[in-house]
Amino acid sequence: MSAVVFYAVKDVKKNRRAFIFITIAIALSTANIIILNGMVYGMTDDLVERTIETSAAHISIYPNEKDKYIEGLGIKEQKLESMEEIIAYSPRLSSGGALSYREKSKTIKLLALEPSKENRVTTLLGKIDSGETLEANDRSSILVSYRVAEDLKAKVGEDATLVFENGNSKVYRIKGIMRSGTAMDLNTVVINFDEAAEHLGLNNKASIVLVRLSDISFSGEYKNKITRELGVQKVKEWKQEVESILSTAETFGKISSVINAVGLFASAVSVGVIMYINILHKRRQIGVMKAIGMRDSQILSVYIFEAALIGIIGIIIGNALGYAGTKYLEAHPFTDPITGDMAPRFYP
Amino acid sequence: MGPSGSGKSTLLNMVGMLDTATSGEIHINGYDVTRMNSSMRAEYRLKHIGFVFQFFNLFMELTALENVMFPMMLSSHPFYEERAEELLEMVGLKARINHLPSELSGGEQQRVTIARALANKPKLLLTDEPTANLDTKTTKEIMELFLRLNKEQRQTIIMVTHNPELGAMADRIIHFRDGVVVEE
Repeated sequence: MSAVVFYAVKDVKKNRRAFIFITIAIALSTANIIILNGMVYGMTDDLVERTIETSAAHISIYPNEKDKYIEGLGIKEQKLESMEEIIAYSPRLSSGGALSYREKSKTIKLLALEPSKENRVTTLLGKIDSGETLEANDRSSILVSYRVAEDLKAKVGEDATLVFENGNSKVYRIKGIMRSGTAMDLNTVVINFDEAAEHLGLNNKASIVLVRLSDISFSGEYKNKITRELGVQKVKEWKQEVESILSTAETFGKISSVINAVGLFASAVSVGVIMYINILHKRRQIGVMKAIGMRDSQILSVYIFEAALIGIIGIIIGNALGYAGTKYLEAHPFTDPITGDMAPRFYP
Repeated sequence: MGPSGSGKSTLLNMVGMLDTATSGEIHINGYDVTRMNSSMRAEYRLKHIGFVFQFFNLFMELTALENVMFPMMLSSHPFYEERAEELLEMVGLKARINHLPSELSGGEQQRVTIARALANKPKLLLTDEPTANLDTKTTKEIMELFLRLNKEQRQTIIMVTHNPELGAMADRIIHFRDGVVVEE
């Protein structure tokens, strides 16, 4: 063992109290960075995954610029069925409306879909908080998001009046209350596609068609293929649908980088101050080192080695703490009333 | 020898190359050591000069054995541990080699310092008031050790002291006053 390493290790052992303090400071700031980054990326992953699962699918087909709806839905569906990598598609109709229950009424977003098709593309209809989900051809029931149910104080099994945006109205039984973990939870009512089309007078039309591919990596290729073969202008990949989430996450990422930098700087300053004070107390010791023939570079190496040793131990402990903290938060996620559970991920 | 402030310790520090002279030259063994750079001075101190201080100045985190081993580790001595044990035995501390300085008496600490100073077989042993913090009996033991080193191992020792009794044991005495040699 070299004399420098020998002395540095002995010195660290002798001054273990100060060094434990410094190590804790480094470990905590490392763990903080890991957990904070894990939070940002984990939440982004959760949101992206949830959006794809419930509302974006792999590809979304929208009406052309000047149209409100996609026209000729039947022919377009046939074309989608003939494409090799498309395993499922689900047309949806979206419109406004109101839901009345006893004396209360609430403006809602009406989402009409065909359960048998929707279930092959998204998991939206599986996000049931209470009651049951909508089944194929069930035209007498609706699903309401949990916030709508809370606002109206409506319960599963009770009847509510749905007023369509063209003024038509009909009484439906609330079959289930949904909690999707997305913005849909705020004010959505889900109804059978054919039932809504009939009341809204929208035969052979859709507001959007969601497409699921055999592999998400085909989305770029199929976006172009669908645009070409269906003669539609506005087709979006999942990446474009989650763009706003990704850009928000990027902003959060930048903010967390600033917080990390400030944390690191504060930690570096405190560690530096402690080590400086520690070395100031060792002026006599440094004098003796010189007297016995240590070169200036060797004396400096002793303190650099000590700092490196403490830094490495602090970072290892910090990584372990960060890993444990991230895993704990992953198991005990934060619950957000709108977006649902949010958990960090460990990114080594 | 000389009163406080006469320049004894300054001379010793300059001979030991811990301080640099503002003017003039210092020759040791024919070398003008004032021309050496910092690394060369450190190397020269390591191999040719041993220091014994008034306040012992041991490394408090090292045991007696480790304190003596340390300069030999720096000079890559092949058998540093064995030689450190021999040196501690020579100064009468064989039984205390694994003790920390805080567990040793003043006299024992000074003997460890002497063993450490002799580790790399220096040409010069520089001692600054080595007995100033010791009682009469221990002072006598330490001085006997110095005399033994001087006679038996022909070790050159330069000692700074106030004490005329200790001065009387030396072969050559230089008296200082206000930074000037007044008598030799």
